[in-house]
Amino acid sequence: MKRFFTILVCKLLRFVGGIVGKGSSLPGKIALRLCPDILSRVELPKYIIAVTGSNGKTSTVEMIAHILTENGKTVAWNKEGSNQIEGVTTLVLGSSTMGGRVKSDILLIESDERFARYTFKYIKPTHYVITNLYRDQLTRNGHPDWVFDALKDSIYPETQLILNADDPLVSLFGYGRDNVTWFGADELSSDTKELVSVYNDGAYCPHCKAPMKYTTHHYNHIGHYECTSCGYKRQDTRYTVTSVDLDKGEAVIDGKYKITLALKSLYNIYNILAAYTAASIVGIDQEKIAADMSDYVMKNGRVITFNIGDRPGTLLTSKHENSISYDQSIRLACADKRGCDVMFIVDAVSRKYFTSDVSWLWDIDFEMLGSENVHEIILAGKYCNDLAVRFSYTDIPGEKIRMIEDISEAYEHLKSDRKEYIYVITCFSDKGKFISLL
Amino acid sequence: MKILHLYYDIMNLYGEYANVSALKRIFEKSGIDTQVDKLSLSDTAVLSDYDIIYIGSGTERNQKLVLEDMRKYKAELVKCIDEGKVILMTGNSFEILGKSITDCEGKLYEGLGIFVFETVEQNKTRITADAILKTDLSDKKLVGFINKCSSITKVDTPLFAVKMGIGNSENDKTEGIRKNHLYGTHLTGPILIKNPYFLEYIASIAAGNGVKLSTDHLTHERAGYEITLSELTKRMEQQK
Repeated sequence: MKRFFTILVCKLLRFVGGIVGKGSSLPGKIALRLCPDILSRVELPKYIIAVTGSNGKTSTVEMIAHILTENGKTVAWNKEGSNQIEGVTTLVLGSSTMGGRVKSDILLIESDERFARYTFKYIKPTHYVITNLYRDQLTRNGHPDWVFDALKDSIYPETQLILNADDPLVSLFGYGRDNVTWFGADELSSDTKELVSVYNDGAYCPHCKAPMKYTTHHYNHIGHYECTSCGYKRQDTRYTVTSVDLDKGEAVIDGKYKITLALKSLYNIYNILAAYTAASIVGIDQEKIAADMSDYVMKNGRVITFNIGDRPGTLLTSKHENSISYDQSIRLACADKRGCDVMFIVDAVSRKYFTSDVSWLWDIDFEMLGSENVHEIILAGKYCNDLAVRFSYTDIPGEKIRMIEDISEAYEHLKSDRKEYIYVITCFSDKGKFISLL
Repeated sequence: MKILHLYYDIMNLYGEYANVSALKRIFEKSGIDTQVDKLSLSDTAVLSDYDIIYIGSGTERNQKLVLEDMRKYKAELVKCIDEGKVILMTGNSFEILGKSITDCEGKLYEGLGIFVFETVEQNKTRITADAILKTDLSDKKLVGFINKCSSITKVDTPLFAVKMGIGNSENDKTEGIRKNHLYGTHLTGPILIKNPYFLEYIASIAAGNGVKLSTDHLTHERAGYEITLSELTKRMEQQK
């Protein structure tokens, strides 16, 4: 009876919330108050796929859902992106019958890294995808090791782990464990022998702390590594990106499935690979997966194309407080041979909480913008002075950089007769301030 | 001017390397030849060769490795402190100077014992806060961010008074440690970039009496500082 009542309340609140446009975590929050162990009282489907990691979880989950749905499976997933226990509760109860049975073939859960241990106490994933662990929102998360420890508590012995073999810290979850499926990339034409990054989180072995050696870097500390002391090393992969051509926008998986890329970044390729791996395990035909992923344009609104007057441009939603996310966006802009102007906006560091910390700017590899493809750099928002200081420590000539604090004024500046393509790189917290001007 | 950036790779969690970049720049703009040596675990430094020694913050695990490695420098370090060498330690690096560090599992690590304070870590909640700190070293308050998991007690010579943020321990309104020209604070990241006036102070101590430092290049730094101070002050008022 209690279960019936809790599910009813949750569904009603979700319905009302949908009408008034409120967030998706409140119904779950109330349900958990009514019945704290409600998640253990529902009947779950055969596949419970969880996805976590610093970057790419929302995109990976969207891709998995897309592939599975295209191939006739029913999927319950947290579309709205509420990825803490309340949001997951809304998802599970919202997708279940009044008798407490989740109706879909697959329950697909994006989970926040630090809260996964609470969510998965009740719902144990059958398959658990971990994309990567980077320096991300450190004002909340502390550091990657801290997140690793928190995440470790969310992993159960019976769960099949699906791990990114190219990330040394993520791979440590699979250390000494049999039920692990590894995905990753072979040495790629876009790789570098030396690290390209301001800092090196792959310098020391996460297992024994001795120095590590890399034979290739895909980006930052993601690549093929081996410890010089204990033998900890990158695992051979079951699902693999075998080649990429970022200029053409193509990637090949497992040597035979060619995927054309809507977004020409390695980031996107890793998300596709993670989705490919999860969908393959569920039994979807790989040729079909590749077709579903070809030219797939994300619907989560993180990449938005626009025109300002006659000038076309792309907004690349990156994450403040996440240097690798910025590095990826910068790399994408720098690779644009048409020539481009790049605008950065740092106005509110976070949309969810207050902080004035901009230490993370020093972890971003802005030096790359010295590329001849980048013509003008515009720094906007409240923290434009901090951006300007950061740029003064690069070799990029000052003439190339323009600081315009007011976002509207910066927008007006873009409305010129310049021919360059425009990239706007900013965060969820600030992108609305730009989009509203379009 | 010789600057030692010790444990530059393993104690560099929040962009701390930029503290050394800021020092190098202010000296060079002032016409002072500056050399920066970056050394780490496998190296042996001669501490007395340097005018400034800097160590940044690291993970709890890496801090323990550094503690072990630092034992070889203990006698030399004590001498440097007594002689008034400029030593700046930010984040959890200064914790190794105390009597002990107890980790989240209760394991006790004997510290270098240069100070009597004791550090206790936990792994339940990350202790983080924007901070405004006051000091008699400069007219200007410091701004920044504290990011730790420890509590430090028995500090008899703190560095700052806490206006906003977190002190050495939960109910402590003081933060950091100091002795002569050794300065330790739990502020993380590039604090000398974010606080151009504190940079001037540290640099002028190292440069010595009578050396006039050029600070004209710090325009954006000063503007950025004022904006952050005003944002934090607004926030602090709201919280009252």
